[in-house]
Amino acid sequence: MDRRSFIKLTAVTGASAALASCGNPENQLIRFVPDEDIVPGIAVWKPGVCPLCAAGCGLTVRVMDADAEVVRNGQLGIVRIAAAKKLEGAPNHPVNRGGLCARGQAAIQITYHPDRITQPLKRAGERGDGRYEAISWDDALGEVVSRLDALEAAGTQRALAFLSRGGAGHRAALIEQFLARFGAPPPLVYELFGDEVLRRANAVSFGREQLPTLDLANARFVLSFGADFLGTWNSPVAQSVAYGAMRQGRPGIRGGFVQVESRMSQTGANADEWIPARPGTEGVLALGLAHVIVAAGLRPASAASRAGALIDGWSDGLQGYAPEQVEKITGVAAARVDRLGRQFAEMRPSVAIVAGPPLAHTNGFFTAVAVNALNALVGNIEQPGGVFFTPQLDLAAALKMKTPVAGAPAPPFRLQPEGDEDDPHIGDAQVLFVDGANPVFTAPRLWRIEQALAKAPYIVSFGSFLDETAVRADLILPDHSFLEAWSGAVPESGATVAVASVAPPVMRPLYQTRATPDVLLDIGRRLRRPLNLPWQTFEEMLAAAFAALPSATRDVDAWTDAQGKGMWSGTLPAGLGRAASLPAPPAARPLAYEAPSFDGDAGEYPFHFLPYPSTTFLDGSLAHLPWLQEMPDPLTSAMWSSWVEINPATAERLGIGQGDVVEIASAHGSVRAAAILTPGIAPDMVAMPAGQGHRTFTRYASGRGSNPVEVIAPVTEPATGALAWAATRVRVTRVGPPDGSLILFAGGMREHPEEHR
Amino acid sequence: MPRWGMAADLDRCNGCGACVVACHAENNISTVGAGEAARGRAKHWIRVERYWEGDFPDVRVKFRPVLCQHCDNAPCEPVCPTYASHHTEDGLNAQVYNRCIGTRYCANACPYNARFFDFFNPSWDKPLHLQLNPDVSLRMVGVVEKCTFCVQRINAARVQAKAEGRGVRDGEIQPACAQSCPSRALVFGDLDDPESEVSRLSRSPRGSKLLEDTGARPKVTYLARQA
Repeated sequence: MDRRSFIKLTAVTGASAALASCGNPENQLIRFVPDEDIVPGIAVWKPGVCPLCAAGCGLTVRVMDADAEVVRNGQLGIVRIAAAKKLEGAPNHPVNRGGLCARGQAAIQITYHPDRITQPLKRAGERGDGRYEAISWDDALGEVVSRLDALEAAGTQRALAFLSRGGAGHRAALIEQFLARFGAPPPLVYELFGDEVLRRANAVSFGREQLPTLDLANARFVLSFGADFLGTWNSPVAQSVAYGAMRQGRPGIRGGFVQVESRMSQTGANADEWIPARPGTEGVLALGLAHVIVAAGLRPASAASRAGALIDGWSDGLQGYAPEQVEKITGVAAARVDRLGRQFAEMRPSVAIVAGPPLAHTNGFFTAVAVNALNALVGNIEQPGGVFFTPQLDLAAALKMKTPVAGAPAPPFRLQPEGDEDDPHIGDAQVLFVDGANPVFTAPRLWRIEQALAKAPYIVSFGSFLDETAVRADLILPDHSFLEAWSGAVPESGATVAVASVAPPVMRPLYQTRATPDVLLDIGRRLRRPLNLPWQTFEEMLAAAFAALPSATRDVDAWTDAQGKGMWSGTLPAGLGRAASLPAPPAARPLAYEAPSFDGDAGEYPFHFLPYPSTTFLDGSLAHLPWLQEMPDPLTSAMWSSWVEINPATAERLGIGQGDVVEIASAHGSVRAAAILTPGIAPDMVAMPAGQGHRTFTRYASGRGSNPVEVIAPVTEPATGALAWAATRVRVTRVGPPDGSLILFAGGMREHPEEHR
Repeated sequence: MPRWGMAADLDRCNGCGACVVACHAENNISTVGAGEAARGRAKHWIRVERYWEGDFPDVRVKFRPVLCQHCDNAPCEPVCPTYASHHTEDGLNAQVYNRCIGTRYCANACPYNARFFDFFNPSWDKPLHLQLNPDVSLRMVGVVEKCTFCVQRINAARVQAKAEGRGVRDGEIQPACAQSCPSRALVFGDLDDPESEVSRLSRSPRGSKLLEDTGARPKVTYLARQA
């Protein structure tokens, strides 16, 4: 064959190949001209802020080209976009120092989730059935504005409720300003595994209503009461960074670590010594150690000053908390109490941590104050290796905002059906905005959130997914993903210096979504009596907030500098910090131990029930991400599943085998899940991770597993009103053999023939 | 030529699983869904194993991240009929996907269970595919896939270093797992450079290799938990 005929032949086969490719619809798509300058194959890195929890870790986002399917002028085609590809921890961020947790790694799947809400939706069916129709942004905003105008005309601005995920960042500050200017109560914040009890205890003990920053890297002895500080609590990446340094970061010094809890958490699994104490008695153990330290003359009782004075009998050396007494109450042997007390005083710097289940009992506030007193006794507050409080930027001061409310601020709405008569209930709201919270899934059944929402005449959700709460909304105004919008954060803890994070959008929005802060500003402008917020956009607000800070780099202003680095950190100028210390509260009756009370008769419901935040899904808000569904749980290797942890001895007594379906029933509800037999749990306790059991939450989470919240009794911690989520008793019954719902990665399942599974 | 290896400090590792998801994100590992996962077909190039010791209340757990150990004397290599599983000059235990014919002899021979067979073509519900890393090839049905020590990052660093007329610096290359690890349990580098951090850690008296008696001469050193 000569060259000419070869070329002819390839031309023919090329044409037939082109014809054949018509069978593949993807090859028919038109390629549109990209809107952005992108060099294919070249990666750029941009700063970001992780949105998944309040820790506010800094991100470095890898951005490269990708081919996205788009519709332009009614024509489906492909366009090259600059797309986020991978999230890394920002190496210089003072909180996470280059690390990123499993959840943060998976956050990118939020942006590209196939079930994201892509445009404003208006309810077209009954509330909750998930039928919606498209609506334009103009019409949608017009609807919201007319509802708010009606409230204003009737003088009932207080009937606007805002349910949010909390946090103290720029977005929250904007929401507060919006509500205050409109005349509505401040936002209602609900989190199943919230830290209200600890914040309140830190306020009375140390004058700081804030979560602590733990200097583990310099500690020689760490004593944690139930805190899952390496997994899910507070600032887990910052704490893991410090943990690694505590163990192996100092030549010749390896910090010791003891965990007190009755169900072994991922954090507890790393302890040198794991000590189960009876649920709700952890505060007694802490005071037992304090008794030993004072009695042995290792530290004077007066060293604890204000934090100690809150405890009944402190100045008398805690006579009621001798090791023998402590053993009777907690079940921890007196000799061990004595040894731990001496270790805690002698292996300094030492630090005690309390969070999670110990504070989710009816005496949680006492427990937190007791552990605070133990820390104060060894003098570790604001000392290397001890407890710090991150200086907090006061955003209202930075923005030169004064909350324009005459008289006392209105109380926020409440979710609990019972409570102070003066506080409005969420069901009394005329217009309800929902941003990030999902109480239909995470609040106890007896709070009757669904019924309360049914009473509210108009619900607006800013959600990106149809979860159990968003599906009850009359209007959905979907937010951008965190990679498509300006984001900011003011971490409450995790660093010993003040930090404020910020990041410009990493990529263009994929859909017809709008950033919620910008939507609120837009609504504020469209009202009959405009709110006159001083910023046109969220970006302007961020710029104003950062302009108030001193620049960390010469020749560059703070705002420009922060955008490039993804954060500002340093010393806060006078007037921009939250008050360093709250005034000491008036002398109240000193706190004494009261036995925790549990919901459910011990005879009929013999087991303590512990729902706990899942390593992968937290309270369930991340169950829609497939990487996290398929990530094996650290302690069980379970994927895509729900399970109940039971002590092997208990299981044998009840005739329950590994994987058997069991029913957990309290006086208020019941769930079924597969049993996992594990030695890391007390024989009188069963535990279950939160997160699964969604009725509607995308294709990956809907109808999968069961939700332990269904079982929780509506018991609250009296000092704070926070839900005492560990105070429910249950009974356990075997329902039947394994039903195949429990999927484990470990245990030689791989490559096993079918009949052996 | 460098000889790439890793040290995993079990005293730092706390089992959080960040490495597992970071690896999925970097290496285009598809999720298989609940049904296939139940049949043992989930793919995790790195996993965190846990070992329980004792009965309640004297219980302890030890975590151990396990990935391909990039053995110097790899049992997976000689059994491959097509040289898909082979050794590179810089000591990586590489898998050439388009040579692989899916005999799975290598997966059977691997003492570490570090090799995963693709029972299906990978699929991503659109637009999840926009996240895919263009530096890492997708694995089609019928091949075996495994940890590459993020060879794409190794090559990128080498190209960059060459362009700048220098050698690759210690710590310059971080596989996705090591980069994400909050407690800095995983350290990657050149074992032939006695000054590198990974060499230093590999010589630690706490160090040992996994299943050393198989004679596979793995290149991942585990540093035991103290106390």
